[in-house]
Amino acid sequence: MTVRVPEHERLSLGNGVALILVPLRDVPLVAFSAVVRGGGLGDPSSRPGVASLAAGLLEKGAGERNAYAFADVVEGAGGSFGAGAGPEAISVRGQFLARDQQLMLELLADALLRPLLEEEELEDLAGRHVELIKAAKDSDPSELIGTYGRAFLFGSHPYGRPVFGSETSLAAIDRDDVRRYYEGQFGAERLILVLAGDIDAHLLARMAADSFSRWPRAPALPPGLARPRGTSGRRVLLVDSPGSAQTYFWIGNVGVDKRYPRRAALDLVNTLFGGRFTSLLNTELRIKSGLSYGARSSFSRGSVPGEFSLRSFAQTENTGKALELALRTLDRLRRDGVSPEMLDSARAYTLGQYPLGLETAADWAAMLAEIEQYGLGKGYIDDYPAQLAAVGVAEAQAVIEEAFPAADSVAIVAIGDARRIRGAVGEYGPVTQMSLTDPEFSDGWTPGDENRP
Amino acid sequence: MTGALRPAREAIRAATLANGLRVIVWPVRNIPNVALYNWVRAGSRNETPGATGLAHFFEHMMFNGTSRHPPGAFDRLMEAEGGANNAFTSDDVTVYQDWFPASALGHVLDLEADRVAHLAFTPEVIESERGVVASERRLRVEDNSHGLLAEQVQAAAFVAHPYRFPTIGWPADIRSWRLEDLQAFYRTYYAPNNLTLTLAGDVDPEHAIALARRFFEPIPAQAPPPPVRAVEPEQLCERRVLIRRKAQTPLLHCAYKAPRAADPRAPAVSLLLCALVEGDASRLHRALVEDRQVAIEVGGHWQEGFDPGLLWLSLTLPEGADPEEARAALDAELAAVAADGITEAELERARNLATVGLWKKLAAIDGKAQLLGEYEVFHGDWSRLFDEPARIAEVSTAEVRALAGEILDERRRTLGVLQPCAE
Repeated sequence: MTVRVPEHERLSLGNGVALILVPLRDVPLVAFSAVVRGGGLGDPSSRPGVASLAAGLLEKGAGERNAYAFADVVEGAGGSFGAGAGPEAISVRGQFLARDQQLMLELLADALLRPLLEEEELEDLAGRHVELIKAAKDSDPSELIGTYGRAFLFGSHPYGRPVFGSETSLAAIDRDDVRRYYEGQFGAERLILVLAGDIDAHLLARMAADSFSRWPRAPALPPGLARPRGTSGRRVLLVDSPGSAQTYFWIGNVGVDKRYPRRAALDLVNTLFGGRFTSLLNTELRIKSGLSYGARSSFSRGSVPGEFSLRSFAQTENTGKALELALRTLDRLRRDGVSPEMLDSARAYTLGQYPLGLETAADWAAMLAEIEQYGLGKGYIDDYPAQLAAVGVAEAQAVIEEAFPAADSVAIVAIGDARRIRGAVGEYGPVTQMSLTDPEFSDGWTPGDENRP
Repeated sequence: MTGALRPAREAIRAATLANGLRVIVWPVRNIPNVALYNWVRAGSRNETPGATGLAHFFEHMMFNGTSRHPPGAFDRLMEAEGGANNAFTSDDVTVYQDWFPASALGHVLDLEADRVAHLAFTPEVIESERGVVASERRLRVEDNSHGLLAEQVQAAAFVAHPYRFPTIGWPADIRSWRLEDLQAFYRTYYAPNNLTLTLAGDVDPEHAIALARRFFEPIPAQAPPPPVRAVEPEQLCERRVLIRRKAQTPLLHCAYKAPRAADPRAPAVSLLLCALVEGDASRLHRALVEDRQVAIEVGGHWQEGFDPGLLWLSLTLPEGADPEEARAALDAELAAVAADGITEAELERARNLATVGLWKKLAAIDGKAQLLGEYEVFHGDWSRLFDEPARIAEVSTAEVRALAGEILDERRRTLGVLQPCAE
């Protein structure tokens, strides 16, 4: 038995809405995943966070319901409803009992087509988002390290912007920004809507057509995206957190995009390098040395190449040792490649694990939306086992050269006690220093910003 | 709804091996995988002063080699068979989780039995793993405002019961465990009669039980672990903890003494907590985050254990806020709930959220294996899981009001404040 894309129906409404219906009857739940293309790309470059606030406001009053009434009806039915912005799309997801599927679609249509976007709700939400960033700095600074990393690596390229917003930008955003965003970046041909689970497909298709088929198109295409240029040579961003017991670090460079043809080989090599417990990275930083609780690597792939990054942390006095070990391990991958035995193990692991992410209606709603968004086709899932089976050492080597950076060509971010680690991190390149309490994720000027226009 | 679950309930098989090990198997054929949970009845509740964190340290040591397999082999073999694993430790239990393709069932059970029977204690490996745990502690406690405050609140909330120990262990204890401590803990708690295996996935239950028998039955039973005899005395007055830490956001934690998991009022406790903090329409989110804006986030959880534990409410405050003002606002809300309970609409909302929450877990093999174990270990019988929808439906506003009046009593709480300071 292997996992295959379930039977589903794909409809295209006359105005460009893509509607996908996936009946799955394991449990009496229904799930939706709505993707509105654009996301952070539609943000004014000086005010990141508008898309994120627009997403947050979708459920803060829509149609005939104000924010309280909307939450009352969602949660009163036991449902969930949440929206967030990514670099290239806003995603809205939720789950309800099957008996409430019509209500679910009605709420979604209100949120997407008739959001109130009220001034007072915006102020409250933006204010709360500012405070949530500060709270994250106090309780889990590693949660924010990717945001610092992308800002440092991508510079002025849109992938460098903090999609959630920064403390400064969130404070500056007003209702006109959000209104302008909604008017410019929402519209029929931007929408992919997947309804999955214990659904009455016939009924929902009719309801969705009634609700969405008169929605106008957005006035323009989603903003275009240039291929980002990676960093050459090493540079370091030091984010000072005085008294920090550990240093949290991130090492990255530009990787590959969503349609990268060697995706199966990429998954296998990353599994071996930093994607599972016995990976090269975790073996060095945790299992053999006891320096860290963990080390991992991943690729973020969009319509253009996003970042490859590895991340870990170690006690303040071991900062240099841990950074050195991480870079040496990256160097070893580039130098030695992977063996056929390693590939076999990674293949078994990947084949054994990927079905676990494709089990529920909510899993399939999200996956089918992603397939539609990037034009991946159902072969993205159905052909995956055969693609994994075909990966050999030569293709793995090609992936290592194409997607993994050389250890001497990376951007490095370290969050830690600058007074105690500046010397150690300075060994790895010119240092830009800022404070963890600064209200931005970069100091505004990045040396070596290859993406400045 | 109960109707939809009946065929599943009838397909589940359970067995007790000759050495006392319990095995429960739920066959599910939607993906070609299996989720396995091994529940060990050992948590920080079973520890003593000077050796706190031992249960959690075992969560790490159980991956570090046996007399048959060298350190690291467990994960290497598991991953090469397509399996992944993890583990967690609480005040009450240590739980080992494996997710793997059905074809690997025999290998995984063999590996799990091997580490229960033949764990090796290599001094160099123990030293290295101390470093890993210290790093985990820095991540979760020392560099984490919420973690730091919660640890102090828990330590203040109990005077006699070992629930006062942090599960990860006090730093000096992490540095000083001896080999003998580890060996004694292993012998006592990692005995088949102290374990429960729950499996869900693409397996034939009789076959899975036969395999469990083959690999686990040769392991001899041990004397039952000593019971935890400590009983926390009645708390007589509110206790307060104040931490000053370099930070931006103040925090407020409020921990009330609450019933144990097996208490017959358990569904009402869960629904009360849900009404208070789950979702934007919850009582405390709406009052404190939306209306009065004294907090930016409200959370809560019930430490549902073998013994009476805590019902936590935690508030994250905006920079510069006065924790005393937030406390007064919180107290006003809680006083109203203690006096009047919640409305029928609030209860209905909580019931529906709990029901959907249950179905979300039941939608995946991981959730099924987890739920089987929780009901077997904490409620004494896995099949009580299937009574849960009816128990949720039966909770009344009168029951919630009585419970709220009992739990939300200022004299039986511990209040923690984290106040930011410059250095």
